[in-house]
Amino acid sequence: MRPRALLLASAASATVIIAGWQLGTLGAVTAPVAQGGSQTVGTTRSTDAATSDPGTADAGTSSDSNAAIDSTSGASDASQATSSTDGTYAGSTVGTRFGDVQVQVTISGGAIADVTALQLTDHDRRSVMISNQAAPILREEVLQAQAASVSMVGGATYTSEAYLQSLQAALDQAGF
Amino acid sequence: MAFLVHDSRDLERRSRPVAGDERARSSKRLWRIDLLQAALAASVAIAIALFLADGGGARFATPGAATTSLGIIAGLVATDLVIVMLVLAARVPLIERAVGHDAAMALHGRLGKPVMYLLVAHGALLLAGYTISDGIDLVAEAVTIWSLPDIPLAVIGFALFALVVVTSLIAVRRRLRYESWYLIHLLVYGAVLAALPHQFSVGGLFAEGTWQRWYWLAMCAAAFAAVLVYRVGAPIVLSVRHRLVVDRVERLDHGVFSIVMRGLDLDGLHATGGQFFIWRFMARGQWWQAHPYSLSAHPRNAELRITVRALGTGSADLAGIRPGTRVALEGPYGIFSEASRSRRRIALIAAGIGVTPIRSLLESASFRPGEATVVLRTPAANDGWLLDEIRSLARSRGATIITIPGPRGATGWVTDAAAAEGLSLATLVPDLPDTDVYVCGPRAWSDAVIADARANGLKPEQIHHERFDW
Repeated sequence: MRPRALLLASAASATVIIAGWQLGTLGAVTAPVAQGGSQTVGTTRSTDAATSDPGTADAGTSSDSNAAIDSTSGASDASQATSSTDGTYAGSTVGTRFGDVQVQVTISGGAIADVTALQLTDHDRRSVMISNQAAPILREEVLQAQAASVSMVGGATYTSEAYLQSLQAALDQAGF
Repeated sequence: MAFLVHDSRDLERRSRPVAGDERARSSKRLWRIDLLQAALAASVAIAIALFLADGGGARFATPGAATTSLGIIAGLVATDLVIVMLVLAARVPLIERAVGHDAAMALHGRLGKPVMYLLVAHGALLLAGYTISDGIDLVAEAVTIWSLPDIPLAVIGFALFALVVVTSLIAVRRRLRYESWYLIHLLVYGAVLAALPHQFSVGGLFAEGTWQRWYWLAMCAAAFAAVLVYRVGAPIVLSVRHRLVVDRVERLDHGVFSIVMRGLDLDGLHATGGQFFIWRFMARGQWWQAHPYSLSAHPRNAELRITVRALGTGSADLAGIRPGTRVALEGPYGIFSEASRSRRRIALIAAGIGVTPIRSLLESASFRPGEATVVLRTPAANDGWLLDEIRSLARSRGATIITIPGPRGATGWVTDAAAAEGLSLATLVPDLPDTDVYVCGPRAWSDAVIADARANGLKPEQIHHERFDW
């Protein structure tokens, strides 16, 4: 590399790195200090984000939530007409490296009426942000599918897996 | 000993201003090279900045988080460099014209191993970081990570990439046929595609709705598009448009022959002497071999000519190619041509079959009588491939020809006898400091010429070389 190239390269790299750093620290100040469980943040994104790319969808179904999915579809076929009881059920708490996740499901008239997150990944600002984005998308998908067998949200793998696992536990309790 | 086959030194008239077009053109090209190098460095910086912009700077507080963060950065930089490697190999005209095919591919080759190390570091650091954060043992953590979506696919991608890098190590590559090496090399596209999904699904940095996701997607898409356009599309269009066919094969010597090809609108190729094409002769048992050969004559009269010495089995078969055979071509490539000129004088130095691009460059290069010197290492004083043509070009254009017969000396690039007489670039080429030196020959010999040029204080932009061993 000639000296001029070296100079240009260093200047460009330094600028980019500093800009990135600034964006990062700026974000830390202005980011909403939301805690796990808030359902309202990020709902505007839910429509376009719900169409997650096929890669993610495949990945979601091929992961270890497979067993849960099979049991759900089997159970729901059998139970929808008969045994599911209306009420609110809290699912089990599922731990991830980014924090615990627990959801609560409301069954009304034999259908999933609502899903509320009691606890979401909250180890750091970033996991809060990710889970706040992912939760509304997952809720929307679950309400539409009426089951826990929905595709995961890209970039929120841990939250998605734990969310759906806790939900499945709640649905099992409800006999759904 | 050296022989002055044709002397044009006294033809030079000292009237031309010292600063010619060559310097201005060279300065522009050097700017382009510097900007491209800066862009490369900036792309690495951007990869790191993506992580920092996401608040990554704050994720170095605990040993676990710091290890994880470093692992993520290693992965980001590795992917960025893989994309750079794809672009370098894509034969993008902007890059080819500025740095030349050789230099672009040399950098491409040099990046392979560092990227491997970064990928290994990416896997190891993340495994370690997660293990520390989760407080469980390494095996349990490895099992957890393996069960994440797209991770097995990414591991396959890494294995493919490792295979490509290992088969490209010089020691391994020497044992492989060019074609097998090439086929293995194609696996790299699979490797990149296999490694991409986990970056978007597991990594939170490229979560849906982030601008980082768009940048990363756009970068990958652009690289693949460049490969498709310039390595697949452009050659097909070129071959269909110019309809090149073999016109005749001329034998020069045992094992050395010229292939003359005819086609349509060859001026539209904008090829000049010293450049090369990648040729594919559409005959049985031939079409799947791609041959990079320099033009041995400036394109004229709707003809392209290459001169080949049968070194490998592939090039030996070419001697029997029939007139009328269709030829597919890719190019023109290389800046072993007027495109890289930086001084008004020119010295063309060749050994053996390296004479072919020198012969066509002598025809295309711009110089005034007396400003060009051709130095050839030949079997005998008056015997060398294409020497008759070079002699007649030198006569009509006013170039000096010197031949140095005999085998290469123990040290240096001239014969021992010539070295004993004190012959070197400085004594053979008049006004060497104001000269562009073009070198073509076997690698070790070329390196010796280049060392001689550097020792005489020539700047890198004055030294141009072309390798013909892969």
